[in-house]
Amino acid sequence: MQKKEILENLKSAVIEGDEDKARESAMEALQANIDPLEAMQMGLAKGTDTVGERFERGDAYLPELMMAGEAFKAAMEILNPEIKRQQKDVADVGTVVVSTVKGDLHSIGKNIVATVLETNGFHVVNLGVDKGALEIIKEAEKANADAIGLSALMATTMPSQKEVIDALIELNLRDKYRVVVGGGPVTQDWANEIGADGYGKDAVAAVGLLTTLLKS
Amino acid sequence: MIDFLDVCERAETGPLMTEKDFELKVLIPKLKEVVKEYGIRYDSETPVPADDEAADAVYHAAVDFLARVGVYCQDTNRVIQFAEEEIRDAVGSAPGECLTGEGKDASVFRVRQPDDERMARCHVNWGTIHSSQEMAIDIMATNVAHPEAKAISISSVTNTVRGMRVQAGSPLEMYAGIRAIRVARDACRRAGRPGLPLMNLVPAAAASVTTIGASGPQFGARPTDGWIIGIISENKIDYGAMNKVAYLLNWGANIGAQGAPSLGGYCGGPTGTAVVNTAYFLLGLVAFKSNYHLCFPIHFRHGCCSTRDVLWLVSTSSQAGSRNVPIPVIWLGYMAAGVNTKMYFYESAAYLLAATTSGADAVKMPTPAKGVKIDASTPMETRFGIEMVKAASQLNRQQANNLVIKLLEKYESRIPNAPEGDRYQDCFDVETGKPGESYVRLYEEVKEELCAIGIPFE
Repeated sequence: MQKKEILENLKSAVIEGDEDKARESAMEALQANIDPLEAMQMGLAKGTDTVGERFERGDAYLPELMMAGEAFKAAMEILNPEIKRQQKDVADVGTVVVSTVKGDLHSIGKNIVATVLETNGFHVVNLGVDKGALEIIKEAEKANADAIGLSALMATTMPSQKEVIDALIELNLRDKYRVVVGGGPVTQDWANEIGADGYGKDAVAAVGLLTTLLKS
Repeated sequence: MIDFLDVCERAETGPLMTEKDFELKVLIPKLKEVVKEYGIRYDSETPVPADDEAADAVYHAAVDFLARVGVYCQDTNRVIQFAEEEIRDAVGSAPGECLTGEGKDASVFRVRQPDDERMARCHVNWGTIHSSQEMAIDIMATNVAHPEAKAISISSVTNTVRGMRVQAGSPLEMYAGIRAIRVARDACRRAGRPGLPLMNLVPAAAASVTTIGASGPQFGARPTDGWIIGIISENKIDYGAMNKVAYLLNWGANIGAQGAPSLGGYCGGPTGTAVVNTAYFLLGLVAFKSNYHLCFPIHFRHGCCSTRDVLWLVSTSSQAGSRNVPIPVIWLGYMAAGVNTKMYFYESAAYLLAATTSGADAVKMPTPAKGVKIDASTPMETRFGIEMVKAASQLNRQQANNLVIKLLEKYESRIPNAPEGDRYQDCFDVETGKPGESYVRLYEEVKEELCAIGIPFE
């Protein structure tokens, strides 16, 4: 099989959210001696770009994003050992711990943010919902994270975002992490009030924000 | 027919799986399957369709979807499954009506049909947070004074207790929950409507202990009020919700399942979201033993219910439900624009036209500014909503569709950057409770515009 065809298969596997095809194409790439980094960048990543663009236009939704993300991961399980063996560097965009804060069970917005971050090269640790300040910080420490993303969908759970920032200050860890906040009732004013590093209106804004923050 | 203890048992014995597997391997693929199998199609040119067969297909798809997927219990990591026959039994024995309120404010909340000439039930007020208790009472009292108001969603009052910000699950939430009921009753008494049912109990109560604690009759709650049990988006429940059901069933109070599927979330686009929204009527019946339902399908990106695709799914799932599931539903819409903007009224008109002509049993007066801005609601939006419901009840779906298309032309492109509008104190005289001149002028202008496009205001 031609290199071009294999890269195209990797791309389409991600677009179709087909994990089996992604694994199979990744193996074909290695068998054809295609540079695994190139397979990732010129195959898989092209697929995530396409799905991301469709998402932006409103032609794709969370299911397509999640399935693309899973297909990407499935292929990377095959490619990663070879990338490591060849001692190649994958650009490290940063590690972000994301969570919906204590008392809040809303997951969709946070999961969209997590998936869009992943498809943009971030390593994401998604803690789920209803997580307290200390648990979030513990997981950020464990993951050696660069940033923490906090979601709140209710006026009564917004204070839990502040709790995380206050706890970071008390534990002398505030300077270690960039903290960004989001969610329906959350605003830039609220982010300023509680001392967050930024506010993301939506998933795409969150990616731009974190990219900028982690570069600075 | 299964009872609630059967549901509890299945929460302990159903198939074990991770939440992510439930989402990726069950919910998403099964939903895609039924949308395809039942031929559900979105037509952006027809935001208010008038196709009974298509509406019934959405209903059958919803039954099939719920039977194939079940509901995920987050506390036990198990899927509570229902047989198709059990779902159809629950539909067959659904009450079709709900007794609400007391004294002269008592009423029967009944189901309507698409193109029904009977006026949809007007449900007033919002869960808005205000900057003072006095303001919350003033606004609620004015809203419930309308004779057309048959039920109320009570305000969260303020977001603080003695200066401390109320936090989900904290003791302050209990204080705030008890206060919300007391303050709402005071407002209803002031308006001469002491028996009016409070249908969104308990607002902003994240913890089940708050709902249960604040619902004690000693704080003013009555079984003829309505309690909201939220379905977690999508197709998930937890023991918090189930604890509330257990309490309310033992008390004999009205139970309202609340479904708010997110268009663009796990449901995908408008077709999948329409199926899930309809399935939530069924899930409420079978899992929560609900006798009314509250729903607000919402756009994941814009946080409002007035986009073209959400209007289509509101219309479609309202028709699917009202033609097939005898449970009264309150339709709640969040508008992108805020108070004292023309755009709010265009959105509100479009939403109420779509819902009312599609068989909505009750409509809540649409919430300005996505419901997230403090003090962002006034009695003017209630006045408009009631006039719109009266007008919409005289129309059929085809007429509504033509009007909604004209309204979308006026606001659709502005949704991403909708004006957030004023606060109550910016456009009302706080002392007298009267609207300012500029707001009255804007209101009259909008009504003239809407009359000109064919909305039959009285």
